[in-house]
This record gives sequence, structure tokens and C-alpha cells, in this order.
Amino acid sequence: MRRALLALALVAASLTACSADEPFRILAGSEVADLEPLLKESGVEVEFTYTGTLDGAEQVARGDAGDYDATWFSSNRYLSLIDGAREKLSTQTKIMNSPVVLGLKPAKAAELGWDAKPVTWSDIATTAAANRFTFGMTNPASSNSGFSALVGVAAALSDAGEALDAQTISAVTPRLKEFFSAQKLTSGSSGWLADAYTARPDVDGLVNYESVLLGMREKLTLVYPSDGVVSADYPLTLLAGSDRKEQYDELVAWLRTPETQRKIMTATHRRPIVPGVALAPEFGSAPLVELPFPNRRSAADELIGAYLNQVRVPARAVFVLDTSGSMEGDRIDSLRTALVTLTGADTSAYGTFSRFRNREQVTLLPFADRLKGQQDYQVPETGPEAVLGQIKTYAESLSADGGTAIYDALRAAYEQPVDPGRYSSIVLMTDGENTDGSEYLDFQLYYQGLPAEKKAVRTFVVLFGDSDVEEMNEIATLTGGAVFDARNGSLAEAFKEIRGYQ
Amino acid sequence: MRRRLLGVALAVLLGGGVVAALVLGNLGSGVTVVRGVIGSEKKPFFDDPQVKAAFAKHGLQVEVDTAGSREIAAGVDLSTYSFAFPSSAPAAEKIKKDRGVAATFAPFFSPMAVATFEPIVATLTQAGVVSGTTFDIKKYLEIVDKGTRWDALPGSAYKARKRVLLTTTDIRTSNSAAMYLALTSYVANGDDVVRGADAKVAERVSPLFLDQGYSESTSEAPFEDYLAMGMGKTPMIMVYEAQYAARLFAADGSISPQMRLLYPSPTVLSKHTLVPFDENATEIGRLLTDDPEFAELAAKHGFRTADPGVFAGLAEGTPLTRDLVDVVEPPTYDHLEQLVAMIEERYL
Repeated sequence: MRRALLALALVAASLTACSADEPFRILAGSEVADLEPLLKESGVEVEFTYTGTLDGAEQVARGDAGDYDATWFSSNRYLSLIDGAREKLSTQTKIMNSPVVLGLKPAKAAELGWDAKPVTWSDIATTAAANRFTFGMTNPASSNSGFSALVGVAAALSDAGEALDAQTISAVTPRLKEFFSAQKLTSGSSGWLADAYTARPDVDGLVNYESVLLGMREKLTLVYPSDGVVSADYPLTLLAGSDRKEQYDELVAWLRTPETQRKIMTATHRRPIVPGVALAPEFGSAPLVELPFPNRRSAADELIGAYLNQVRVPARAVFVLDTSGSMEGDRIDSLRTALVTLTGADTSAYGTFSRFRNREQVTLLPFADRLKGQQDYQVPETGPEAVLGQIKTYAESLSADGGTAIYDALRAAYEQPVDPGRYSSIVLMTDGENTDGSEYLDFQLYYQGLPAEKKAVRTFVVLFGDSDVEEMNEIATLTGGAVFDARNGSLAEAFKEIRGYQ
Repeated sequence: MRRRLLGVALAVLLGGGVVAALVLGNLGSGVTVVRGVIGSEKKPFFDDPQVKAAFAKHGLQVEVDTAGSREIAAGVDLSTYSFAFPSSAPAAEKIKKDRGVAATFAPFFSPMAVATFEPIVATLTQAGVVSGTTFDIKKYLEIVDKGTRWDALPGSAYKARKRVLLTTTDIRTSNSAAMYLALTSYVANGDDVVRGADAKVAERVSPLFLDQGYSESTSEAPFEDYLAMGMGKTPMIMVYEAQYAARLFAADGSISPQMRLLYPSPTVLSKHTLVPFDENATEIGRLLTDDPEFAELAAKHGFRTADPGVFAGLAEGTPLTRDLVDVVEPPTYDHLEQLVAMIEERYL
């Protein structure tokens, strides 16, 4: 009888803890946000929380996704490679499909003859090396479309025919360099990339999901490489710790009805996964060969590492950092920690990929009522530890005092020479309002007078403490950057996220 | 009374509010909810309204979760389930032993088969791997040994630069891949069932799995890719015959005119075996095995049952074969596990 009583107590507890009225909670990649409106018709109340693919994968693997019933990323492939992640997942069901392909401005596609004949990744890499076109792509370390593209290009260029391993990756690195020499735009997310592209007439196209490319307002010619692609299959995945199996089944059944599949296809340009739903003409008739995806974590990490350290156009990152008196205490501690995180102190995969890269130029511009000096670092091609150590030591010595001259400091960042062989960006972190020196309007006038190559340098703004939200937003809009909010979260997380855009 | 209260409590804990309502409703109407964990390829069967109705006639409602059969045997916490229903006899044998279960039920079975497309059949026929509807594993292994790619096969209409490899599920989690290992290891071992950790055999069959790259953990997912995305993604795939047969019998248009089913030689039978942990689950096992209504429903879902006539009736006039030839036995659970473990090491 004692067992029965205990059981009844548990019943009472569980009835209060889990009510059927609560929404079904999904931890999702930002790329499925376009499905949120459609899901309102499903009859299941769903609540989305968005995160990056890699970041989300690590949350799940660590067991930190306990508040959620399901995940919905563009792919579970990377997640499945992380130790301990598979056990956290219950049933997974693919909902739709979208290959990662190249979209080019129609005139450029015609000029290259790619609108009329089959093209391989190898052709594309050769043309890229000859500077005949440029493109934008998301960062493979923070976004699945970039990672899928990198895997696809590497698999196709390696000429191996089987899944990539460490040896093939190092052999294919020179060819990858050719291909990525044409990359002029990067981003931490697919959506932001599409927006940033619109503002950059000098970039000829994008490597992205077919669905994003078909959804662009300005029509693109899609190039489906004949040697293969890597596709996203968007598995809605029940987490093993969830007790909402019924809602999951209901949602999946609804998503996979032919009617919903057709709606998804029309509204989001993704291919249906359910057999028997006819493809719309916009998808064309090119046969899609799916390239093998790595099945070892080491190979996936090696590929991302090679991209960041050897293949990509190297970055030049300028950090404009508020070290005024108001930063005293916890705030300056957070700033020190955030910078140290980027020197390799965070050993999670996401943390490792966020660190300052080999070949990267890093400039730290701490300021108060005036600049407190300029620190320039050049991370070498190999053996980055010594320079990372210097950055760490300097970051740990930062102290807070003085007023806040935001625009003088930001202007100093734009005074830095621009190297056409690098991808330059500025990070502006401040915890309060401008109290000294020039005003926002002064900066605006200054910026508008800058030459094109300097105007192309974006400022990524971090909101912290008592930032002036309106002015910070204006800076991001003016320079084509973006705003990251660390007021309620950690400064280190915001810095890591920004790394995807550098 | 004590047992019933516990039952209610567990059901509430397991399924939340909805199940609670069902069980509470239960006390009046006499419907018993039974939960099981099954291989994904049987999910359509348990989801079928006719199957649900047939169970309801006996006062039963069966709720299932899916997992790879190897996960069911060695990963999933079985304590929350009334039965496990993996897709192979070796996996069921392991669970039976671990849980001290007296009797199991093997209500239906399905041979392993190769689902592919006409242009692939033509190419592989020319290469000597396929004759008629037979897929010769020995010849196939020779092609894999050489690292042959599709575009290198004479007369290949499939111009992909990918290696000639059957798509399978992940050998580390799923039964259909383990069944594939059973039949390929038989050939690699000189036409003999593998008895232990044979390094030479492991060496030869490892590329069949590793060189594919990422593979899925359940057999439904890649089969769906085969159906929906066609030859580009999945030129040929190892399936349970039942997966293909169910689609064929349903005549839902998912089997397109270019699709073909081949039988590997040798093949193994996947014996879907239900391991019951309580009385209700034993009743489910009995019904599935003995009740002709369930045998007919199982055949509709492509499974072969004890009475060969049921399946043969449906298969009449289809490419499905009535008589299976060259069927070999899979290795024991332990021997198969040892072989899998040796392949698993190579993923690191």
C-alpha cells in the first residue's frame, strides 16, 4: 500500500507539472521561422525558441534542452556526430527538403554560360579562382547552410566518391581555397545573409538553401552542380525527455498530409518529403545527386577548422570596447571573460570555432572619454597559441575608469586602413550613453563621407548594461551591421554569436 | 486495487494528461493502454486505423515509440514499456535473456531486399551483379573492394561520381544494417556464418558502411528518401521487403514505374519478434500470431506470416517473389555484436 500512496503522490505532482494546456515547445534553428505562421493551422499550440544549429546541437548534447519537447533544425547530421547526443533524441521525422546550391544574378549566370549547361563544383571553383564572380555564404561554424555547402564543395572537389576523412580534407584544401577566394560576404545566419546581399551590388550571388534563393525578391538563376549537393531535411525531433508524444505525433501527422506539404512548398519553396506530392515547376528538373556527409565527428571538425584557419578569406576584426567608469565591477569582468573566451578558453566545439582564427588580424580599441591605446595582433598561420596568449593577458588587464566617448572611438575604428584581401568588420560594445566627444550625427556625416571600401565595413553592436538602444540600432542600420543583445544574457555568448559574422 | 492504482499512476507519469484521460475513461469502458517500443518499419502497421480497430475489439489500445532495433536491445530504457518489438531474432533473443522473459512471439517476418531503379538494374546487370531479380552479393563485394564509382561502370546511365554502395541505416543503431552485415559477412567469410570477432571479415565489410558517410538510424527515413527524392540521393537501398511491398499493396502511387525490387543472394530473414514484459503484452503477441484478422492486416503492410497464402494472394501479379531461395541464418546476437563493435571502432 505504501507504494500505491507514493504513486498517488507522484500522480498529483505530475498533474500539476504537466498540463495539456501548455504549448509544445520547440528549440529551432532560425531557418524554420518561416513555418511559424503556417503552424497556427495545425491545431497544436506550438512555442518556438530560436538558436544557431551548432549552438543548439551542443545544448541538446549537454542535456541543457530539458525545457523543450522537440528540436527542429535543418539537419540532425552534425548533432548525431556529437558524443551523447543521440541518446537525447527520441523519434525524428523529416518534414521537407532543400538542397544547398548556388544562386547567381541572371546576367552573371548568362555571362558564365551557367544558365544553359550542366556545371560542376569543380567548374565553379576554377571560375572563382579566376575572379570571374563573387558570392556570399554563411559561416560553416555557425550555420547549417554554410556547413552543408562546405561539405558539398569539399566532397565534390575531393574527387573521392566516399565520405570525407582527415586525409582527403587536407588534400582538397588548396582547391577549397580557390573556391572560397570568391567569397565576399559572410554571416552567422541564412536570413541575415540574404538581407545583407541585397545591399551589396558588388556580390554576384549566394550559396544558400534553394528555398532561400527561390524566395529572394530579386530573381536569381539557380545553379544545381551536377556532381552533387548536400540537402537539409528538417527533421522534427522529439526529445527523449519529453512526455508530449501525442502532440508530437499529431503535429507530424498534420505536417505530412499532402495538403500541408503543398502549403509548405508554396509558402517556403521547400521540396515536399512525402512521396506522391508533385513538385512545382520552380524547382526545375535537374537531377540532384546527394553527396556523402561525414560520419565522423573528427572529419566534420577538421573540415570546419580547415575552412576557418586556412581556406576562408582571413578576417580583420576591430573591437571597440567601452572601459569607462560605469563598467567597473561585474561588467568589466564580463568583458574580460568574453574576450578570453575568444582566445580558445572555451573548449566546446562552438567555443573552439569562435576563437580568433589563424591568419586573423585583431585590433582592440578600449576607450573611455578618449581611446586608451590601440592593440594590434596578427594571429600566425600556424601555432597561434603565443599570440592568443598575448590577447588573453591584455584582456585580463583591462580596467574601468573615465567617461564615454563612443563616436570618437568608433571613428578611430573606421580610420583603420582597409585591406582588400581581408574581410573587415567592427564590433562595438558599450554599456551606456555617449557622454564625451562627438555625437551620433557627427559620426553619421563622417561615415557618409567615407570611400566605398570603408563604408563596406559593418559595425556589429552589442547592447550591454544601459546602452542607448535607439542610437545603437541606428549605427547597425547605417553600417549594414546587426545588433546583439547581451543585456539579459552573457557578453561571451554575444561575442561568440558575432564571430559567425566576422 | 493496488495494481490498478499503480497502473493509473504510471500511465499519468508516462503520457501526461491525455493518457490519464484515456485510462480514467478506461476504468469504465475497459480499454487497456499498452505501450511498446518497436522498430520504425512497423510504425505504419500500428498506426493503421484498421489495426487500431482490431485491437480495440479486444479492449486494447497499443501506443508505440520507435527506435533502432539495436538501441532497443541495448540502449533504450525498457522499464517504461510493456513490450519490445525489434526487427530481428538476435536482438529479441538478447532482450529475452536480459529481462528473463519466458516466451516470445514471432508473428511475422520479411526478407532483406534491394530497392532500386531500372537504369541501375540495367547497369548492374551489365556489370554482372544483377541477373533477373537476383542481386549477387559476392559480385557486389568485388566491385566495392575495387572502390568502383557509378560513372566508371560501363554503360552507366547514372553518371554520379559516387562510389557504388548500397544505402543502409547506421550499423551502430539499426537492425536493417545489422541484417545486411549478416548476409555480407556470410559471403566475406567464404559462405559461412560468422562465429566471433573475425578481423579479416570486419576489414572487408567495413567500407560497406563507413564509406557511405552519414547514415540514418531508422530504416523508414532512408526509404522515404528513396521514394521521395529518387535515384539522385539513393540509387539503391537495403530495405525490408515489407517496406516496399506495403507501398506496392497500398497502390498509393509512391512506387513509380522506374522502381525495382531485387532479392540479394544470399538473403536473411528479419524475424520481427515481440518480447512481452506483462500479461497485456502477451495478449498482443498472441493476437498478432494467432488471429487471422491480424495476419491479413500484417500482409497488407507487406509482412509475410505463418500462412504463406495470405502474402502470396496479395503478391499475385506484382514483382514480389513467392518463394525465397538462398536464405542464410544470421550470426548469434553475441557474434553479430562483436562484428559490429569491430566496425564501430573504425568510426572514431
